[in-house]
Amino acid sequence: MNERFRIRAKRNDRIAKWVITLGGMLVIFSVVFILLLITNTTLPLFQKPSADIFAKFLLPKEPTQEVLAIGVDEYLETGFFLDREGVFNFFENQQGLATDQHSSSPPAENAELASVESVGRLQYSLLWDDGTLTLEQVNFRPFFDEENNNRRSIVHSVTRKAVFPSSNEDLPIMSMGRVSSEGRLTRVDHLSAERLMVTQTVISETLLGDQEEEHFSEVLELPGQDAIKALALNNQGTELYAGTEAGYLLRWSLSEAGGAKLLDHIQAFTDGREITALTLVFGDYSLAVGDTQGQVSTWFPVRTEKNSARKILKRIHTLSKHDTAVIDIQPSLRNKSVLSLGGDGFLHLDHMTSERHLLDLGNHVPLFQYAFSTRGDGLIALTEESRAIIWKLDNPHPEVSWKTLFGKVWYEGYDEPAYVWQSSSANDDFEPKLSLTPLIFGTLKGTFYAMVFAVPLALFGAIYTSQFCRPRLREIIKPTVEIMAAIPTVIIGFLAALWLAPLIEESLGAVFLSIVFVPVGLMLAIIIWQFIRRNDPLKKLERGYEFLAIAPVLVLSIAIATTLGPMAEDLLFAGDLKQWLFEEAGTRYDPRNCIVIAFAMGFAVIPIIFTIAEDSLSNVPPALKAASLACGASRWQTVWRVILPSASPGIFAGTMIGFGRAVGETMIVLMATGNTAIMDLSIFNGMRPLSSNIAVEIPEAPHGGTLYRTLFLSAVILFLMTFVVNTVAEVIRQRLRKKYGRF
Amino acid sequence: MSEIATIKVTDPVIEVENLDFYYSGSKALHGINLGFPRKHVTALIGPSGCGKSTLLRCFNRMNDLIDNIDVQGHVLLNGNDIYTSSTDVIELRRRVGMVFQKSNPFPKSIYENVIFGLRIAGVKNKSVLDETVERSLKGAALWEEVKDRLNESALSLSGGQMQRLCIARAIAVNPEIILMDEPCSALDPKSTARVEELIGELRENYTIIIVTHNMQQAGRVSDYTAFLYEGFLVEFGLTEKMFMKPRKKQTEDYITGRFG
Repeated sequence: MNERFRIRAKRNDRIAKWVITLGGMLVIFSVVFILLLITNTTLPLFQKPSADIFAKFLLPKEPTQEVLAIGVDEYLETGFFLDREGVFNFFENQQGLATDQHSSSPPAENAELASVESVGRLQYSLLWDDGTLTLEQVNFRPFFDEENNNRRSIVHSVTRKAVFPSSNEDLPIMSMGRVSSEGRLTRVDHLSAERLMVTQTVISETLLGDQEEEHFSEVLELPGQDAIKALALNNQGTELYAGTEAGYLLRWSLSEAGGAKLLDHIQAFTDGREITALTLVFGDYSLAVGDTQGQVSTWFPVRTEKNSARKILKRIHTLSKHDTAVIDIQPSLRNKSVLSLGGDGFLHLDHMTSERHLLDLGNHVPLFQYAFSTRGDGLIALTEESRAIIWKLDNPHPEVSWKTLFGKVWYEGYDEPAYVWQSSSANDDFEPKLSLTPLIFGTLKGTFYAMVFAVPLALFGAIYTSQFCRPRLREIIKPTVEIMAAIPTVIIGFLAALWLAPLIEESLGAVFLSIVFVPVGLMLAIIIWQFIRRNDPLKKLERGYEFLAIAPVLVLSIAIATTLGPMAEDLLFAGDLKQWLFEEAGTRYDPRNCIVIAFAMGFAVIPIIFTIAEDSLSNVPPALKAASLACGASRWQTVWRVILPSASPGIFAGTMIGFGRAVGETMIVLMATGNTAIMDLSIFNGMRPLSSNIAVEIPEAPHGGTLYRTLFLSAVILFLMTFVVNTVAEVIRQRLRKKYGRF
Repeated sequence: MSEIATIKVTDPVIEVENLDFYYSGSKALHGINLGFPRKHVTALIGPSGCGKSTLLRCFNRMNDLIDNIDVQGHVLLNGNDIYTSSTDVIELRRRVGMVFQKSNPFPKSIYENVIFGLRIAGVKNKSVLDETVERSLKGAALWEEVKDRLNESALSLSGGQMQRLCIARAIAVNPEIILMDEPCSALDPKSTARVEELIGELRENYTIIIVTHNMQQAGRVSDYTAFLYEGFLVEFGLTEKMFMKPRKKQTEDYITGRFG
């Protein structure tokens, strides 16, 4: 041999080896890289929240000044405290230097504050010692000084939102004031241990356009011997809650001015422990309750029975436990978190939905005043030694836990715990419902129905094509089916949604009759065949052209079913199957349902299963087939006992690849499922699978937000699902191959 | 082909009358007339492509599997034509067993391989099955080697053992005739000797028709020999006579190795 040629051949060999190795490694590397990339995006979901001390300084106050409330702006740059004289003292948060003061003009000379209640977003309802109640709003806004190089500073102001005149001779223990969005004023006074007074002012416009004020006033008394220990009033002033010494929770509706209605009066805990703190969680639906045992729990009204209008308060979430009684609770103004102060001066940060205990905050000196920043990512607290501490929170995804992702969660407004996916809503105080379970369920449901439709068709088709039909016919069928695989799924989905779904809805009766008529028709045809098959021309038909005899039978069966469909619906289902389903079976018929999905996704999956199964069936050594036939086996016995077991690795692999395809399929399910994330196995309604959920929601998910990361997590799950399916399939295939292989 | 040197067989188990065979229009067998003596071994010899395998496959209608074939003439099994429309091919193949050139056990256990014919006939009685397995494996001289591992995969056997297993499978259903299509061509000399010895034993109970390329083998195992050439039957007679003193020139040339 030519020496140079041999060297060249060897060199080419080496190059080829390297190129192939490199290519293979690149493939593996990119798959791993993609997985890592996706996983990396989801990791912050499970990161532990943390709090860093942003600033710590001695509060700039006179020794005589008493701090009744404390607050901070959303940038954590300026803080303030409210003293007994009703003066807001502002300070900057670097060193804690006092900047200025803002007196909220007292209603009477030398009036001092009796009590203060913090109402949401930097609002304070101040009770003065002459009995007047005022509602003050602290405002912060950034200001850019154009003359001074656009230097940014935070300017602040205090405005009075409302004044509630004194309504009683005696000074109440505590008072709360609210202005509803319609301008109705509600004042609730805590008069004595068991008496509350509600004063409401309704401003309405008369026909002539004059403003008319109506005043309502009533006294609410506690039933029985008890003492009110905590109160909470919603922002609209329509719902009043009280907690008592004997451990009762009371709820009044104040929506009808002058007609307060006691809705609930229940013992909160069986041990009758005292209620010590109440507040409404952001959104004003859930009530956070603190008790003497240090337990924080949230409650909201739930229907007593199904379909009954009456709702009673029920404990929904149990949050963290303090070592001593809970003194006070404050809601976050961003999400469903609550901050609670225990008697030991320690703060607990908990998230209601996820029931996660996020943080413990404290100092060696007990804390006694505290406030969230409006953005919810920081808080200011004051120790008993007048030291202010500002914490910056790193807590981006408090609502995510394994339980909220996969478990049943009792969401606000629901009558029972449920698996729900509802990622967004029109309001800000919405409780995001991020359960992936209905999506995983949806994926499996769609896949299941598609496989139920596709697997038998594809496998029987493959068996017929490879074992029974004429080779010439096979040469036509196989490429045709393979072309099916090349149809873009968006077209299949489009047809399924816009053509097939209305068609099935219109002729639902015919569809179901076909399911009965087609097999019956086939059976009849086969029986008749047994009698006429002895004729010579028919005998020829039997060897590979059976479909010529079967096709008319199929068409005829479907035609009969279509004709009889409406009649059957008339006779059996009072004219409308959908109506009947809804009324009798309690199933809602959804036009985009699993029948459509089975057809459409089945159509996409059939070519894959068919091609692989057909290949492996055709590749069973002819010697085995010959051996079986020579033993006197019929064609069907040969297929069943010899061909199928030998081809089983391939058939199995084909089915699993089809399964993997159906799991990951996006466009068809996106267009034809209706995308409702319900957990219902019924074939008459749709679902929302993981894949189309990602496609639907990722454009609207804020980058880096909880939804965004949760969607990435669902992508990881999808990846793992296909990975597990494929791995299991490969392992089983190898085993089958070992068992039936060799040839 | 002028005339055919043949002998008349009395009480033949298979009688071939004027058999013509066509593959997609081309004639592969030309007017074969032949009777196969009962409970004897008959060898079909001839050069490659002479039609001996085709002829063999006519006896259990395995040629039916091939597209575009045509058969004319008659093949009588115990006097009944097997090429009529009323023939039950499955029953026919039960009576005419077959062993192939390449051993083709099913990817099942040894036990299941042997009773395959009974299983497909619907026999479920365990004692009948057990008995059949023992009888057939003993008949195929394989019993002693595999009796302790009947549930192992047949694919774990050696080549010679597999071929004997295929013979056991063929005799399990008690056929009258066993067709063997070059059963030893893929075996080593030792296994070949073993199978040949087995054929010698089987002739007591079965009629055996064997296609072989190997003259010595034909000489060793067969009682009668038919020599085919280009689709024609050239000579048929007792093996001893034919090998000692062929009546036709072509036969002599082939046997002595001048062509083939």
